[in-house]
Amino acid sequence: MTSFGTTQPHTLQTIQDWNPEDMKSEVFDVLIVGSGHAGGMAAKILTEKGIRCLMLNAGPVADVSRDTSRKQVYELPYRGFKPPGRLDHVFQSNEFNANVWVDEQEVPYTFDAANPYNWVRVRLFGGRSLFWSRQSFRLSDYEFKAKTHDGFGEDWPISHSDLAPFYSRVEDIFQVAGALDGPPQMPDGNFVIDDDPWTPSMQRFIAAATPKGIPVCKQRRAMGRDGLASSVNLLLPDAEQTGKLKSIANAVVRTLTVDKNTGLPNGCVFVDRHTLQEMSVKARVVVLAAGTLESTRLLLNSGLANSSGVMGHYLMDQIYGAGLVASVPEARGGNGKGIMGGAAIIPRFRNISTKSDKFLRGYAFNVTSSTGGVGARNFAAFGAELQQKMEEYHGSAFYMGIMGEVIGRRENHVRINPAKVDAWGIPVLHIETRYTDNEYNMAKDAVDVAMEVVESAGFEVLSKNAVPNPPGYSIHEVGTCRMGDDPKTSVLNKWSQSHDHKNLFVVDGAGFTSAGWQNPTMTILALSMRASEHLADEMGKLNV
Amino acid sequence: MRRRDFVRSLIAAVFATRGLAAQQAARQQLPIASPVPWTLGLNPKTPIPQTAVAEGIAEAKLSFFTAPQMESLERLCDLLMPAMGGKPGAVDAETPQFLDLLIGQSPEPRKKIYAGGLAWIEAEAQKKFKMAFAKLDDGQASELLKPWLRTWMSDHPPVESHADFVNVAHDDIRESTFNSKAWAESALASTHEGTPTGVYWSPVDPEPHTMSENAKPHVQAAKGAAKMPMYPR
Repeated sequence: MTSFGTTQPHTLQTIQDWNPEDMKSEVFDVLIVGSGHAGGMAAKILTEKGIRCLMLNAGPVADVSRDTSRKQVYELPYRGFKPPGRLDHVFQSNEFNANVWVDEQEVPYTFDAANPYNWVRVRLFGGRSLFWSRQSFRLSDYEFKAKTHDGFGEDWPISHSDLAPFYSRVEDIFQVAGALDGPPQMPDGNFVIDDDPWTPSMQRFIAAATPKGIPVCKQRRAMGRDGLASSVNLLLPDAEQTGKLKSIANAVVRTLTVDKNTGLPNGCVFVDRHTLQEMSVKARVVVLAAGTLESTRLLLNSGLANSSGVMGHYLMDQIYGAGLVASVPEARGGNGKGIMGGAAIIPRFRNISTKSDKFLRGYAFNVTSSTGGVGARNFAAFGAELQQKMEEYHGSAFYMGIMGEVIGRRENHVRINPAKVDAWGIPVLHIETRYTDNEYNMAKDAVDVAMEVVESAGFEVLSKNAVPNPPGYSIHEVGTCRMGDDPKTSVLNKWSQSHDHKNLFVVDGAGFTSAGWQNPTMTILALSMRASEHLADEMGKLNV
Repeated sequence: MRRRDFVRSLIAAVFATRGLAAQQAARQQLPIASPVPWTLGLNPKTPIPQTAVAEGIAEAKLSFFTAPQMESLERLCDLLMPAMGGKPGAVDAETPQFLDLLIGQSPEPRKKIYAGGLAWIEAEAQKKFKMAFAKLDDGQASELLKPWLRTWMSDHPPVESHADFVNVAHDDIRESTFNSKAWAESALASTHEGTPTGVYWSPVDPEPHTMSENAKPHVQAAKGAAKMPMYPR
């Protein structure tokens, strides 16, 4: 779990601090819904250009000094187990962190029991930027121009060269560490250079992988500042310093409002999370950054921006959960020091220069050489025998885990379920999505490849799994408001701007045209930065 | 303003200020015998009472497993996670009692795995050894369980019948024991086998319980389940 480091809580106004009369009369330049990476970047860019922004966030501000304490696990009522019956669809939760996730009863969603979906949400100020793995990759033109490459789906209306300058600036802000060792399918960037040598276990792994045409590269990870790489410490302070940003916590947006004369969005109605009081605000421009599915839910509930009928469709993410655990024999018996350690990323290598007949697109591997313990699940033993095995294998574990692209299919979609509302009376989402043979074949191929490589390296496979976790688990949900050049087949244009309403932008993951295998955060940040600069220019020219 | 009016308003202002100051002084220096506003008094210097967790002190009342099931579960715990190397075993850590709480409050599928699994090992013990599972020696119990042990990765426990129970229960028993007070207090717990500590998140700015009953479905459901008598005002 990410810590907040030395981050100071933001000085946010509460709804009660505002004079409703002032709010009624004040028209903001831009209303930003959401405060995570996407919203934080929009706020930073727009306010630095002198644009007055109002940011609404559905949840409260987290303050580690007030909201956390260090506890022994036995002090917790359920000895650290996830409180039973809560957060069934948040596999990442446990008793320590159960209170940071969105309560599934408070903000429910529906799905067919045969096709479960894990919607993992955080509504604290800063959103999911407070808690993420920080893996930081660019998409390549194998993603941006995927249809051109393999004929499936749609190309994005932009290419890597359009986004490269923005990626570069984002990488600087987030202090992304990595090596300039990427093949074309994993473009290099503006990195804090990682020149640590590979450990012997990693060298053996690389020697086994390379002849099979599998590239092994240094991991790429945002270091951030003071132990955190979040909107609340890297983006929002800059926006606040301009004096152009007002933020309201606990403001649950119910619907966008529309100017009756122009048909353009002109603000929103929100509900106070505590008192349920309904309030409204006005703005010339609306920027949605509430997280892929919350932005789409808001637009669907508002009846806006969907002349194409594409909104809600092409929900994508990445398959996680498949992989294996191995052991490096020479590191057993307490001999791991100097042999083990280090992490690598294997970027997608399938369907680049060759073509698989089993699946489209491809997957990456996270590879970790561990100096820690090996879990009991890796041994079919119990009692003294298990204990002896665990002691012998301690410090010899080698992990490989998949991140595989889920291809965009129209039938994988979300829609409003009018029969169910959340705690604030807002209709919820029905999520209808499932993995297909493409994803299952990809996962099986990944485990077969992983087995082949680690066995070539002389490692012992302890456990493996070829079944992906349920859709949504990766917390990389993207799509449902995809961008494109054709207003008949896409919701947003290449500037993340609604085809239907020129003053409406969606800058989170909803705009993705394809998912890729990469953690989407860097792309969300770069797209939000690019869209916000374009918006500022257009506002300056009075085009918006 | 005429001078006479100005002097009058000045005098009034002086008296008003004195009156306000007098009221504040009276509030600050309450007579000893008068009641103190009940929310006053606690401050950062107030000593915090030392309390203990109930585990290890109080006897837990069974709420889910039957007495025969509990006997089987205790035997299972003792077999899968015995006391070793000076560290407590699952029974010492009161893991069976804890699992009664945890499984009893868990969703139906998890309850079924345990209820079905305990029934199965009892039936197997009777079939093979003509005695209750709780009475089997280590060799006999191992003979029943070992064929069902599997290796598996997080979030993907075995799904085949019997293997699901054996492996899930094994995992639960181990985690419950490691995370117990008894384990934490074990003087011999080594560095990498100590009980974990962590950063616990309290509810962040939670909604007040007075929130409208119509607004929060789970609050509404909770209130609907147990009607409290109301006092007329």
